[in-house]
Amino acid sequence: MNIIEIGGLTKKFGDFAAVDNMSLTLKEGEIFGFLGANGAGKSTTISMIASLLRPTKGEIKFLGKNIAKNAHFAKMNIGMVPQDLAIYEDMSAYENVRFFAGLYGFRGGELKARVEEALSFVGLGDKQKELPKNFSGGMKRRLNIACAIAHRPKLIIMDEPTVGIDPHSRNYILQSVKELNRMGCTILYTSHYMEEVEEICTRIAIVDHGKIIADGTKEQLKAIITDSKEIWIDVKSVEGLNQEQLKEIRGVLSVRIEEQRIKIQSRAEIGNLNDIVQQLIRDGMEIRAVEEQAPNLETVFLTLTGRNLRD
Amino acid sequence: MELWLLGSKSALLLFIGYMLYATPHDASFRPAYMLVLLIYLCLSFGIPPMRRFKKASLALYALSAALAVYGALELHPLFLLLAVPSLYELAAGLGAVSWQTAAVLIAAAWLLPAEDRPLYALTAAMCFMLYISTNRLHARLALREEERDKLQEDARRLTRALADNEEYARQSEYTIKLEERGRLSQQIHDEVGHSMAGALIQMEAARRLLDADRTKAEELLGNAIVISKEGLERIRLTLKQTKPPAEQLGIGRLQLFVDELSAKYDIRATLNYAGDLDAITQLQWRIIQANVTEAVTNSLKYSGAESIAVEVIVFNKFVKAVVRDDGRGADKVVKGLGIVGMEERSAAEGGTIIVDGSRGFSVTTLLPVRAGS
Repeated sequence: MNIIEIGGLTKKFGDFAAVDNMSLTLKEGEIFGFLGANGAGKSTTISMIASLLRPTKGEIKFLGKNIAKNAHFAKMNIGMVPQDLAIYEDMSAYENVRFFAGLYGFRGGELKARVEEALSFVGLGDKQKELPKNFSGGMKRRLNIACAIAHRPKLIIMDEPTVGIDPHSRNYILQSVKELNRMGCTILYTSHYMEEVEEICTRIAIVDHGKIIADGTKEQLKAIITDSKEIWIDVKSVEGLNQEQLKEIRGVLSVRIEEQRIKIQSRAEIGNLNDIVQQLIRDGMEIRAVEEQAPNLETVFLTLTGRNLRD
Repeated sequence: MELWLLGSKSALLLFIGYMLYATPHDASFRPAYMLVLLIYLCLSFGIPPMRRFKKASLALYALSAALAVYGALELHPLFLLLAVPSLYELAAGLGAVSWQTAAVLIAAAWLLPAEDRPLYALTAAMCFMLYISTNRLHARLALREEERDKLQEDARRLTRALADNEEYARQSEYTIKLEERGRLSQQIHDEVGHSMAGALIQMEAARRLLDADRTKAEELLGNAIVISKEGLERIRLTLKQTKPPAEQLGIGRLQLFVDELSAKYDIRATLNYAGDLDAITQLQWRIIQANVTEAVTNSLKYSGAESIAVEVIVFNKFVKAVVRDDGRGADKVVKGLGIVGMEERSAAEGGTIIVDGSRGFSVTTLLPVRAGS
């Protein structure tokens, strides 16, 4: 089932279109990645899905219902982790989460249970009484997430949740995103960190200048550019190498030798590294290093838009 | 130039006139003063019209100098001042205005009574400066005018050559088209026409024999069918040989467009391409050509760029055509009709447009590669 359906979505600020006639569907159970440089229109799109901004044109449906007409239903089922921290520094972690969960109408025992659940989910169960102003950047981010998930939303929108934090917290957050997904949440995840998106997202859209340039799984996106990969194998000496035998291996397209490096171009979807290595060993090669050169999302983005993600 | 010299002489005349009347003097000399001044004035204004006759103008210079010297000797030393510009002009007419002339004229001050020396020396020096600078400027101006005339002549010649070349190119193109058409009709006539005529004769013969000799008629019809089949095959072959492959047409046309750009405008235009151009369909080439033309027109109009780079690359699943200039770009791109048009064209083929004004201005057309093409 489609949890989000966006059609012809446009947001203009004056003459400038921050989001330009965007159409998109999110299926339930996905971790959907929004990949784009700063200013590509990711946050504007998200703000419109979360009913924080009114679209200039176009329609957003949440579980088949227009969010403009069913705002309460949408808000009860969407959790938003904003890019800028939305927590009160001088209220304890517990009070912060209780405040936000309270806004959704939970009271008494249920409220308490949900707050505790959310806090322990993000690993702050033992820091309930402490004030966020004493927290590290990563802990603040995690508290920010707890505030957004206490009402058990069906869709969680995360806008750059890992900006400016330490690797440990980043890892923790990425794991919790996967965990939330396993528990049945659909996740809309924006980032300009290509590795994160590549690691956790099941489907990815490349956004630039307010438009979706391409979308699909990471394999589909990479296949846009090429369906071949290069395997570089450094050997001690290429003497005795039987190139013809190498070319016989399934998937191998071509073989080039550059000094002590053998460059093998191969079909991307075929796993033939074992066969190649075995053949080289049979030829008496002494292998020093093996490296696979396949396009990554960064290359895809650069090729499509002509810019770097961090521009 | 003359106006400035006349001006300086007039200033001198006024100065002398004032000095003569302002200082104590014998009133009976007044008519003589006036006469000398007026004659000098007449001579001065008489010179420009005589300029074309060199000797006459030299004589007039000498005459006015003599008049000034006469006035100085007979009437008042101040009149000597008037000799200065005339002598400079005389020297110039003889082709010898230099520091030496000035030095001689200034040194002549020592022939005068002591109280008149500074005024005379000052006049000689100032007139020299004026004369030399006016002369230099005049010479420079003349040089410039000559250069300008030459450039204009060059421009006219080049324009004519260009027009001739364009005409020649048009003519060649036309001739080539004519030749091509001639070749085609010849080929159709030779190969297809003959077969068809042969087949027709056989068929007519078959019709006549249809009742009399059925076997013979069938044989003739069989022949006609074979000949027609061969003719059809030849038509197919001729057409196949004549029709250029899509990628040659597409990239060739784009190359022509880019070359014309470099030739017609003051801009460096380049075309790069890579990948399997065969994958681009005829329709996609048309979209690329239209979008490139539109984007380049915008660049020429607004960007102030020095160079435009056009790039067509075919990747595994899509074609990318980029027009990028190195001009002033735009912080926020406001879509005009042109960009909307490009978007619509591309969307019709399932593609999209990226417009970026952050480093120069670039328009990227992305079109999906049709499977199996």
